[in-house]
Amino acid sequence: MKLFAKLRSWLKWIVKRARLETAMEAELRFHIESIAEDLVRSGVSQPEALRRARIQFGGVESHKDAIRASLGLRFWDQLGMDLRYGVRRLAKGPAFTAIALLSLALGIGGNTAIFTLMNQVMLRNLPVRNPEQLVAFGDSEFGGIAGGIDLGALGGYFPWDFTRSLQTDPGPFQGIAAYCSFSNKVSIRPLAASGTANASSPAVLAPASLVSGNYFSVLDARPLLGRTILPSDDATPGSGAVTVLSYHFWQQSLSSDPSILGKSIAINGTPFEVVGVMPQGFLGIKQELQPTDLWTPLSMQTVVLQQPSMLTPHSGLYFLHLFARLSPRATSNRAELARSQNWLNQQIMDGIREREGGTMSADRQLEISRVNVPLVPAAHGVSLIRSQYGASLKILMIVVALVLLIACANLANFLLARAATRKREIATRLALGSSRARIVRQSLIETLLLSLTGGVLGLGIAFAATGVLIGFVSQGNAYIAMDPTPDTTVMLFTLGLSLLTGLLFGLAPALAAARTGAASNLSAGSRTAQSSGGKSARFWPKTLVTVQVMLSLLLLVGSGLFLRTLRNLQNQDYGFERSHLLLAEFDAKLAGYKPSQTPGLHQRLVERLSALPGVRSVALCATPPISGGNWSSSVTIPGYTPAPKENRHSILNRVSGRYFETAGISIVAGRPVNNADDANGQKVAVINQTLARHFFPKGDAVGRSIVIDIDSVKGPWQIVGIARDTKSGNPRDVDPIGMTYIPLAQIDPHLPAVSSTPDATGVVAKTVVLEENQDRFAGMILVRTTGDPAHTIADLRAAVTSVDANLPLLEITTIQDQMSNFMMHDELISSLTSLFSLLALLLAAIGLYGVMSYNVVRRTNEIGIRIALGAQTPAVQWMILSESLLLLTIGVGLGLPLTLLTTKYIKDQLFGLSALDPMTFTVALIVVSAMTLLAAWLPARRATKVDPMVALRCD
Amino acid sequence: MGNRIDLLQGTLDMLILKAVSLGPLHGYGVLLRIRQVSGEQLEIQQGSLYPALYRLEHQGLIASEWGESDNNRKAKFYRLTAAGRRQLHSETERWNRMASLISSILRTTLEEV
Repeated sequence: MKLFAKLRSWLKWIVKRARLETAMEAELRFHIESIAEDLVRSGVSQPEALRRARIQFGGVESHKDAIRASLGLRFWDQLGMDLRYGVRRLAKGPAFTAIALLSLALGIGGNTAIFTLMNQVMLRNLPVRNPEQLVAFGDSEFGGIAGGIDLGALGGYFPWDFTRSLQTDPGPFQGIAAYCSFSNKVSIRPLAASGTANASSPAVLAPASLVSGNYFSVLDARPLLGRTILPSDDATPGSGAVTVLSYHFWQQSLSSDPSILGKSIAINGTPFEVVGVMPQGFLGIKQELQPTDLWTPLSMQTVVLQQPSMLTPHSGLYFLHLFARLSPRATSNRAELARSQNWLNQQIMDGIREREGGTMSADRQLEISRVNVPLVPAAHGVSLIRSQYGASLKILMIVVALVLLIACANLANFLLARAATRKREIATRLALGSSRARIVRQSLIETLLLSLTGGVLGLGIAFAATGVLIGFVSQGNAYIAMDPTPDTTVMLFTLGLSLLTGLLFGLAPALAAARTGAASNLSAGSRTAQSSGGKSARFWPKTLVTVQVMLSLLLLVGSGLFLRTLRNLQNQDYGFERSHLLLAEFDAKLAGYKPSQTPGLHQRLVERLSALPGVRSVALCATPPISGGNWSSSVTIPGYTPAPKENRHSILNRVSGRYFETAGISIVAGRPVNNADDANGQKVAVINQTLARHFFPKGDAVGRSIVIDIDSVKGPWQIVGIARDTKSGNPRDVDPIGMTYIPLAQIDPHLPAVSSTPDATGVVAKTVVLEENQDRFAGMILVRTTGDPAHTIADLRAAVTSVDANLPLLEITTIQDQMSNFMMHDELISSLTSLFSLLALLLAAIGLYGVMSYNVVRRTNEIGIRIALGAQTPAVQWMILSESLLLLTIGVGLGLPLTLLTTKYIKDQLFGLSALDPMTFTVALIVVSAMTLLAAWLPARRATKVDPMVALRCD
Repeated sequence: MGNRIDLLQGTLDMLILKAVSLGPLHGYGVLLRIRQVSGEQLEIQQGSLYPALYRLEHQGLIASEWGESDNNRKAKFYRLTAAGRRQLHSETERWNRMASLISSILRTTLEEV
């Protein structure tokens, strides 16, 4: 209780300070007067009594000071004094203060910017209850539909019936839920109350996700309004037309309508009832760059994806990812976790065996028994961004931390130099009775003032920088899931970093200042070498500069390696023309086209676009020459017996007549697909060199046939030409991959008839209904232009609108932008590390220049004496320069092994060169040496200009 | 004035509490009362009185209010609080115990060891 009373009293006196002072004054005066009265009563005269009373009592001020100390106010007063003094001193040296604040702001700002991104991409938990209990089944980062694989293989893909069985019986898990592995854009129109589409409001394209009925309950995510999707919504395929909206969509496209619940919106033409809105910041379990705007039950798959139903038993289409919530015991107990893992593996093994049916070879049985789909912790969600950018962000974090260290080293050197000029002042203070602790405290407060102000400025810089980085990463997408605004975690990080920085560069000078010996410094101007600080005072600045040189070398080598990686990636042979090409993505299905209408639409598009000025040729295709997602399958060659487990994988593309000339892919044998290959002619295909070499090593591919293992485009197709190999996906992928091109015009209008299966009542259907072939749609327009492709974009839009005003163009890019998308984080990391390493080098050069100049200034007396005694200019220059050369040599000598050791950690980020690439190292060494020599030469020149008479005369 | 015996800080606080327990006093009055009660033997150092008074008030053991002195001049009077009373009691007990302990040690003769 005493402590509490003391605290209350202390606060009271801080607030009512003025009253305290007057009260003390009055009380002490009363005391003196009382003493005087007593003296008067014993016969002393009034003035004499007052005088004696004052002497007896002692100094009023010292009494007051003792009172203030006993109240605990002394510390507070001293703090205030130190702060005011610090501000005055910083204001008196505006140049130093400005440079210091700038370097601190840049250093701290850079760190905060990278940390903001790291926090959002890697560190933040999902906004749900107990996120540590969530696990994903397998590596679920990629989206897509796969066929012909085992359950859970190749990225955690599962078919619908398997996920249903796990949903109903989750075994040791609290719950298992499924979601479609990719979200796709749907067209949305708000509906009026009567249920008819509001014709005046345009359709909005938004990404939608299909999820199982228990998705939200397994995540344990609560809605902001209404309810989430329930298992009852997902019960039967084709029913359950409800949707839950994201906060962003509700805010942006529906203007936060508070009565949205119960209203309907048309998704791809079908009315869905809005049953709930999720809170801000909820993005589902899959963290994508373009976050989902609405969730719908899996049962509505045909409407949302506009594909035939994949919700049939044994469909063979694996398109769902699974995740689960572990039981509380399994989260903490490893044995329990293993039990859950084994249960899952068992279910998968049973599932595979059931699907294979019949007898299996012993090898296959063995293979199945070894199946393991790992449980991946999903507390931060499942994110492709994280795995793509995670390593880059960590590297950038280290780089900016090093830059901050270099900036701190500079500041420490500057402060040490300033401390040297304050020696007289400090000696005086010590002589007057100040404690050393007080001096250290004052010094520290000044540096903390600098670093905290730098931190605040840095926060502003970080906000701007993060905004720019996010803009770069989002590639022009209007809305992505990242936000440059700093949240609490980021601000705490900045505060902590500022404090740490302040201590880092402030502690050493503060301690050095307090170590001053009082007597020797009070004597006026001594001319000994000891007066300039001696060897020990020169130790710290030299060490710091050496460290700066080391770190600059490291950063330069790193940035050199990244730059060359980028160059190597860009200069590869991609197999197609990488200039003068425009790519326009469109989706005719969204505009309501049926597959039977596609030939006419494609014809009109090609004709209209070919007529545009500046266009050399136009082609249509399903995927562009290089693309993140691909349509692929295995292929079969009649007459060729494949070895067991032989790789018969090929990427597929359906193309229009002038594709090869538009894309600039050369044909090495036979002929390309052309306009003559239409529905009436023989089915033809073109394969690439890899496929030809693999299946027809004797070189007789042309004329043979090929069968594609997808029902909708089975074939057989006659091979009429061999195309050059192209890089169709990730530029870092150097493995050759097969490609098969088939003409759009020759794809069958209907899917092959499926043999009738008895329905629920055991009746076999008499009539066979043929389904239209959705694979007849082309998704991409390729335009080869004569001039700059960017100039043709407006004409392209106008032309497409003139063909059909409702046809949505999803995205238009030039081939260069498309390519740079792939190399985006290589571009990002190489440009940022180059920027930072140059900044670091500049800071190190400034630091070296500063230290060397200061050395010359301090040694003015000594240099003056030397010159007076007959030393020649070159000798003096060499004296100064040799010190710098020594620092450079030591810095490089220590820095080189350090760099050699650390570059192997970034080996995975490099492409086409080793982590010990000699050319990069050599160039970096040359740059560092050049900068250092320049920074050292200037002060050396100044040293020679010292006038011995002036130097010897004054202090 | 008698011999000045140097006091430790703890005993000064105790004496002030005792002086104030006998009735509200201003600072000078505390000085006088202690001198008087000790039979002119004990004089408190001027420099330690007021810091001690403010410290005791800071700790909540005494409370102050402004009033009129016998000359009708404004003065600050201190009185004991309930917490102060408890403190005084425990300090007195401790002092007495300590004093009897030490004097019994000092009284031992060679035979009693």
